[in-house]
Amino acid sequence: MTKLKRKNDLEVNYDYEKFSTINGEHPLKKACDEAFIEYGARVRKGGKVAAFNFALGKEMGLIPKGHPDKMTPELEKKILETFGIVIINEYDEINNIKFPEKEILPHKYMATRYLQLQHPNKQGKTSGDGRSIWNGVVKHKGKAWDISSCGTGATALSPATAIKKKFFQSGDPSISYGCGYSELDEGMSTLFFSEIFHKNGIDTERVLAVIDFGNNISINVRAHQNLLRPSHLFNHLKQGNYEALESLVNYYIDRQEKNGVWKEVPSSRTARLQFFLKKEVEVFAKMAAKLEDEYIFCWLDWDGDNVLMDGSMIDFGSIRQFGLFHSEYRYDDDDRFSTSIPEQKDKARYTVQTFAQLVDFLITKEKKNVKSFKDSKATQSFDKYFIKNKRKNLLYKLGFKPETQEALLKPAKKEIDALLDSFSYFERAKSKAGLHKVPDGINWNAIFCMRDILRELPQLYLSRNTNIQRSEFLEIIKSYYCTEEDLAPNSYRDKKIDDFQEFYWKLVRKAAKFNNEDEQTVLLNMTMRSSIINKMDRVTGDSISEIVHKVMHAKPKIKPTKLFELLSEFVDYQDLKPESKMANADKESQSNLVKGMLKIVREYREGL
Amino acid sequence: MKLVLYGGGHEEENLHLDAEAIKLTNVSDPRVTYIPSCSYDSEVDFIAFVQNYRKLGLTRFIHFPIDVPFDQVLLSEAMSSDIIHLSGGNTYYFLKYLRKTGILSRLKAFVKNGGVLTGMSAGAILMTPDIKTAGYPKFDCDDNDEKVKNLKAMNIVPFEFFPHYKNSTRYEKELVMQSKKVSTPVYAVPDHSGIVVDGNSMKFVGKTVCFHKGKKVPLSSHLKLV
Repeated sequence: MTKLKRKNDLEVNYDYEKFSTINGEHPLKKACDEAFIEYGARVRKGGKVAAFNFALGKEMGLIPKGHPDKMTPELEKKILETFGIVIINEYDEINNIKFPEKEILPHKYMATRYLQLQHPNKQGKTSGDGRSIWNGVVKHKGKAWDISSCGTGATALSPATAIKKKFFQSGDPSISYGCGYSELDEGMSTLFFSEIFHKNGIDTERVLAVIDFGNNISINVRAHQNLLRPSHLFNHLKQGNYEALESLVNYYIDRQEKNGVWKEVPSSRTARLQFFLKKEVEVFAKMAAKLEDEYIFCWLDWDGDNVLMDGSMIDFGSIRQFGLFHSEYRYDDDDRFSTSIPEQKDKARYTVQTFAQLVDFLITKEKKNVKSFKDSKATQSFDKYFIKNKRKNLLYKLGFKPETQEALLKPAKKEIDALLDSFSYFERAKSKAGLHKVPDGINWNAIFCMRDILRELPQLYLSRNTNIQRSEFLEIIKSYYCTEEDLAPNSYRDKKIDDFQEFYWKLVRKAAKFNNEDEQTVLLNMTMRSSIINKMDRVTGDSISEIVHKVMHAKPKIKPTKLFELLSEFVDYQDLKPESKMANADKESQSNLVKGMLKIVREYREGL
Repeated sequence: MKLVLYGGGHEEENLHLDAEAIKLTNVSDPRVTYIPSCSYDSEVDFIAFVQNYRKLGLTRFIHFPIDVPFDQVLLSEAMSSDIIHLSGGNTYYFLKYLRKTGILSRLKAFVKNGGVLTGMSAGAILMTPDIKTAGYPKFDCDDNDEKVKNLKAMNIVPFEFFPHYKNSTRYEKELVMQSKKVSTPVYAVPDHSGIVVDGNSMKFVGKTVCFHKGKKVPLSSHLKLV
């Protein structure tokens, strides 16, 4: 009998035609012509695909589900044809620079307008995508995905153009940020960081591809189901542009509804707007609590930039995740310092306040001062949702099962708040060494690692069935930054240790009662879940930078297929969700590069 | 001395050996410490370990990775457990960190003080005089990526332990040859089988095979430990 010869995966002709629909066309163009500047574009030669996110490509329907996670020459060609582009900007036109006809693309691409605090015009008249364009939209399984590329040339919306009052040639070496190009290491960091966030349920834009043009110059292609930021609306609000604002809000609501993110959206205009406000309140309260509890630094400010409307992370250039609650860290952006993590909540609240002003404006057609919304129903709801999410996050980190977390929220509110109080006390304790400079800003070191106590305490309680000593408590939580002086006897701290243990036990007892289990069973479940949630090795911003450096300088150079393999392995390792971790429990032996990555993660685990 | 040496295999198929370990403690609700050979994703293995032991009614467990920094509180709690289990994995890597942290000698003291030490595959090899059995046969051995030179282990049993033994010619040939090089017997233990040591008495659970001085020797189920 003749054996059928099975075709090699890579010998199959895969359909990459969906890439061809990404051509600059986007529904936002029809929704609001004041939301963008259009640019012609041309082919940019000399690029090589440095990274491609096969998983995201499948999710978006760009490559078939059965496509191997391997780069094919045809796929690379499609990626380069679709995303290897540069805009024809004002500088090119003023200087009458001619490009070969065959290299000019048929459609135009949007650089969108949004508010940005670093621009001299505080109404968003000059600001927006300074080095990005929107490539288009793809639809797959009822979901629309926006795609945008960073590093596609200098637009008129960059701070450099607004400040210097001139247009720049793309790639102009005299002006780094305004040159319109982006960096390869930035793209790679975003790829690693965003995939880890995504794996852990932290909403984020994701990197679809990175194209390397040499000399650390790249185009970084990002995707998300809705790439609008609050700042896309706030510029029109500042300018009192009612029509543009209304068009964009309607566009946003429609997309959320069509993508199935928002359900039961009311049909009447006022109810729709109130629904929109309620959703934004929930989004920003949840996000602010999450950022604080996961020690994620994201530079939020009054402009509503650096975050998407649905609370997703973007622009990973300044995003960090700390190992400890370094609550005094501030990023130094040359002419200003960023907000700190605790201030993020106030900025998120202010964003909600601005949304309240925005919705009121759309309903009444009268633009009131934003200050009059300081204690509005929306900001009050924000405060309530914020604390509710803080409580939820604590119960999750303690290791309670999902159904127990829900059940404890109301009846154990007093105990949760008391534990939260002690928890925050230790989390925010700072070194006697004081404020000091760090490579990209300033910091005042946190000294206690709360993840360690959350991981070890249920095990110790199971073993002893009683409290641990105060000295033992400190021995467990003390970090690398903690000095003898920091640990000097302190009666208030002793009381906080006692409170922590008292309310921890009270919650365990309440959970046992609710679950109809004994305390040991509750503690055992907490032990197991907490060992994953509070895993010792969690990435920090510094560790991601080091890992990316290692990946970029590996010899021989890592090709996209291998890179995706490494990324997947590393991201799976950093999956700190008990359910998905246990569901994907098959582990293979680590490659030498991943072993090296783990060492880096460990070395930087308490840092910035 | 109370030991259980596991040949290997899935947790659920080693329940009978777990039961032997519990019996050795003489405690109604023993505390068990799980020491993984490597911390990489060891939480997953820890949970599988716990879920299996729970079937036997146990509820008190400690997860104690030793290739990452650890505090003295967890260390002393681990060392005061009733059972300490050494997981399977890369024997060289495991030995390197057990020695580096000083836990290798603390485990010997733990056993001397009456604690029950159990070990799966690599964990069991570590109880023997040295870890040479991790280095053969070539077609199925651990890689010494850590370049460990000192292969001396706990030396608390007077035999060599060869885990995951399969009754095949190529294994037999290799073990016959290797057993000529050592004066102690080499016990070749298949998955789901094991050796239980209680004081001076030794019990074989499952189909253990002995290779001694170049010969395959028949075994009775109980032997005296000498």
